[in-house]
Amino acid sequence: MIEEIKDENFSTSINQASTPVVVDFWASWCGPCKMLSPIMDEVSGELGEKVKFFKLNVDENPNIASEFKISSIPTVIVFKDGNVVDKFVGFKPKQAVKEVLEKHI
Amino acid sequence: MENTRYDIAIIGSGPAGLSAAINAKVRNKNIIVFGIQELSNKIIKAPKINNYLGFYDITGIELRDRFKEHIENLGISITFERINEVYAMGDYFALDVNGKMYESKTIILATGIEYTKPLKGEEKFLGKGVGYCATCDAPLYKGKTVTIIGYNKEAEDDANYVSELAKTTYYVPMYKKELALNENIKILNDRVVEIQGTDKVDKVVFENNEIATDGVFVLKDSVSPTQLVPGLEMENNHIKVNLDMKTNIKGCFAAGDCTGKPYQYIKSAGQGQVAALNAVTYLDSMVKLS
Repeated sequence: MIEEIKDENFSTSINQASTPVVVDFWASWCGPCKMLSPIMDEVSGELGEKVKFFKLNVDENPNIASEFKISSIPTVIVFKDGNVVDKFVGFKPKQAVKEVLEKHI
Repeated sequence: MENTRYDIAIIGSGPAGLSAAINAKVRNKNIIVFGIQELSNKIIKAPKINNYLGFYDITGIELRDRFKEHIENLGISITFERINEVYAMGDYFALDVNGKMYESKTIILATGIEYTKPLKGEEKFLGKGVGYCATCDAPLYKGKTVTIIGYNKEAEDDANYVSELAKTTYYVPMYKKELALNENIKILNDRVVEIQGTDKVDKVVFENNEIATDGVFVLKDSVSPTQLVPGLEMENNHIKVNLDMKTNIKGCFAAGDCTGKPYQYIKSAGQGQVAALNAVTYLDSMVKLS
């Protein structure tokens, strides 16, 4: 299970991590988000401790969504030392998601 | 919705898709074929065909009728629905038709090559204000300005939906038909020149005008294969396949014009057959594994 992150604890969670952090921006009304979600679960299982995974509900956390200019979902952002190092928009199959993340491990 | 997971879902009803269908059917696979009533808009326009072996001096419509007779004799029917997006879930595929999902173990893409050329700026700002699914992303534009570039009547429904959330909705029809739009939608009958912005979209430039906008939805008849199947690898604007008609995604095959030139009927039919036979082999190997 991937932990939910919120406007309130976003900065601390992102900045404190010693590994790359992945945030999946989603909403309950978004079909592709629903399809991506089990893929992210699988990838997080496979990458174990090497990457920290979060998901953020854009409806409930509009501040962070707007700070990162989320205009399409799903959007997945990779952070390293608190900075955005990579990003993809839309569904991706598991292998493709892993390829993006493995670049940053 | 019935909970069938098909063995093979074939997307496209041209010669590649139909040849794949008949070959999969005779091997007793549970298939579904997505396509159109006319089977192929290209074939019916052909005045005379002389390079389809065995059918000398035939018109496109006659050849189409032969195809129709052939699939009907094998009990193959076409599902007249348009697939919006295909999700590769690992050991199966989820095919989305406006929120309704079909599932299949393998897919064969036989979509032809008719997709519209992207607008200037469309690809650059994809995900940065440009989107293809208004119903997916509309809530992100609550209280903002949205422009919808619509290539078909269905886009009008999406525009009406967006207009309930957005502050201002513009609609740019790319066709000539009477529009059924909510009163609060502003219609722009002008030619789109470019979608512009810096790090995200901020305006649409027209031949005679320009408008400030937070988002642009481009709603087309047919989408490029990479939008249809996210993660699909392309090469020179075609789907990259090997001689087995395999794509880079496990269980996903492609055949016909969408895989490259030459654009010919019998080549498409041949590739459809190769794709179907390899899909069957792949299905058999899955059975052995489980």
